[in-house]
Amino acid sequence: MSGTDTILIIDDELQIRRLLEITLTANGYKIIHAATGKSGLVDAATFNPSLIILDLGLPDKDGHEILKKLREWYFKPVIILSVRNSEEDIIRALDNGANDYLTKPFRSGELLARIRAAIRSSEIKPDEPLLTFGTLSIDMLNHVARRDNEILKLTATEFSLLALLAQNHGRVLTHQYILKEVWGHGYIEQTQYLRVFIAQIRKKIEDNPSKPTLLITESGIGYRFGE
Amino acid sequence: MNIRKLTRENRVISFSSGIKNYFLSVMVIGLTALLCSPLSNSQGYHLVSFILLFMVSILATFMGIGPVFLASALSALVWNYFFIPPNLTFHIDKAEDILMFGMFFIVALLNGIFTTRVRRQEQLAVERERRTNALFQLSGRLSGASGMDEVLTVAIAEIKSHFSLEPFFILQDGNKVLHTAGRLRKDRKLSPLEYQVAEWSFTHLKPAGAHTTTLPETEQTFFPLAGSQVNPGVLAVKLEKPLHGDQKVLWETFLAQITSALEREFLGELAQKARFLDESDRLYKTLFSSISHELRIPVATIMGASDTLLNSAHPSEIQHVLMNEVFTASLRLNRLIENLLNMSRLESGLLSVRLDWHDINDLVNKVTEDLRDELRPYTLVVSVQENMPLVRIDFGLMEQVLYNLLYNTTQYAPVASEIHLDIRHEGGRLIMQVTDSGPGLPEEDLPKVFSKFYRAEGSLTGGLGLGLSIVRGFVEAHNGQVTAENITGEGARFSLLIPSENPDIENLPFEKS
Repeated sequence: MSGTDTILIIDDELQIRRLLEITLTANGYKIIHAATGKSGLVDAATFNPSLIILDLGLPDKDGHEILKKLREWYFKPVIILSVRNSEEDIIRALDNGANDYLTKPFRSGELLARIRAAIRSSEIKPDEPLLTFGTLSIDMLNHVARRDNEILKLTATEFSLLALLAQNHGRVLTHQYILKEVWGHGYIEQTQYLRVFIAQIRKKIEDNPSKPTLLITESGIGYRFGE
Repeated sequence: MNIRKLTRENRVISFSSGIKNYFLSVMVIGLTALLCSPLSNSQGYHLVSFILLFMVSILATFMGIGPVFLASALSALVWNYFFIPPNLTFHIDKAEDILMFGMFFIVALLNGIFTTRVRRQEQLAVERERRTNALFQLSGRLSGASGMDEVLTVAIAEIKSHFSLEPFFILQDGNKVLHTAGRLRKDRKLSPLEYQVAEWSFTHLKPAGAHTTTLPETEQTFFPLAGSQVNPGVLAVKLEKPLHGDQKVLWETFLAQITSALEREFLGELAQKARFLDESDRLYKTLFSSISHELRIPVATIMGASDTLLNSAHPSEIQHVLMNEVFTASLRLNRLIENLLNMSRLESGLLSVRLDWHDINDLVNKVTEDLRDELRPYTLVVSVQENMPLVRIDFGLMEQVLYNLLYNTTQYAPVASEIHLDIRHEGGRLIMQVTDSGPGLPEEDLPKVFSKFYRAEGSLTGGLGLGLSIVRGFVEAHNGQVTAENITGEGARFSLLIPSENPDIENLPFEKS
């Protein structure tokens, strides 16, 4: 954990800002907070924080709009923290470039884990040739994945799916996004293909495929690769 | 159906005394006279009169009075002109022939009249039978119909088939105000003028509109549906000409029957509405009294514990216990809010089920993770069938279902006992069973455990009694079923059956090994 990471909190609820500030400061982060979307955008530009926690229900502007504006120039992780828990909102935020989504009320332990994962994944260069997760390693150059140094028998589709998830690890990828990237535009409704392939990959990379620890399901939304 | 067709054909024959029949009677008499002309020379002209009389009688059996009258007059004249000497004149020489001619005319006419009368009687009998059948069929189908819409559908179909009219029902709303659109045909709206006429007919209980003396300027005629206790509304039809005679009698009998069926349904609907209001009033009261209780307990815990923490110094273990209380209370509040939101989704009737393919293990993992703390004192034994196929469910809804079922079990099963979660796919259905090793459910309560606000007798835990009713609501939204039973030697078992076909995963695209 890097103790010098700065986190910007954009939330209009004073109690939530205070709670987050105490929790995050206690865990070694530096905190800036903004109560409106507008001041949040200014703070993001001024301080260039390592991560932004964004509420969707802001008084001046809709959080989705702020996220879109941010994503024009801000490429570090954004975590949405909102009371809105509909799949539409979550998928929309993720498609607009949010890295993760947590609904209020939340457990601080969960939030801290998500923050750590997001910051860590942002430190990986996108063209890293070798990705390692515990005993699993993925060699992007030679299209080979190994587990305990044993080469995994993966089909071409399984490998591209695994690679896509691993390159974006710590980040929730929506079903539509994954289907579009791996299968192509015509398949974005075919979630059953995705489920079947995920199940196959889990059998090869997970210790207990029915209780996955690497390839995590975000119910109704998509998948996240994590540890 | 057959009866009606038959009688209708009868009617076609009996009433069709059009121009064709007049022509036919002229033809028959002319032809007979022509054929008889050689006969009269050999057998005498009196024989011809009998043959002509015979033909008139035959005609009378299947023709109306007009053509028969024409046939009798014509045959008398033809006989006179062509056969009574001197031929080819109307002059009659012999006095007996004058008498014969007069008699012939009268006999032919009487023959025609009597036969026609007999046929008329027969026609009336057929007509009566037809009406009786129509009414019999109407009343049979009306009493078989259940619900206002079905009664209206039957009424419209029957009126259409017996009167060839397109009826249109405008009902009142229960407060003696007519709707402006048809009950079944919401697209068919009354014009302001039509509405005025309909309203007049409804309040005065008299027909109004076209062919009546009241406001005849509309296209439609409005007939009031006057019941014995309430008047369900009015019926509008477009009549070509006013109804009269038997048709009118039949029409009125039809209306009376339809009205009484509508009245029956109308009163039923009113009673149901009253019951519903009563029920929702009761629910409202129960909900509020239990919500305020359910909200106050955790809020009181949070207030009390945090107040203690703030106002005095305590050893750290006491602080920890108090903070734990605050955390537990907040979880309880959160669960309450979640259930209330789910209940309101169900009650609003706007619940949309978004089916998609899911791995059932994902559902189990998500729920057991959320219930980690609650499940800690128990041994949860999960068994999922080998090669379990993907299932087509709404993940969010089923998550609530399984959460509530397991949570409920943790509230009643004895600590340290086993809870079994069995999942399989059988006969196109996803089957999930939660079985505990507790004392089971009170046998007499089994039918009502899924009712709103049901709480087990002597249950120690708090709660609104909404959890299982949400389970049922969400399962039914999936067209599934949920049942509760006691298993001897184990405990209570809740079973879910959700229809879910195997996914089409043959021919997966882009796959090369």
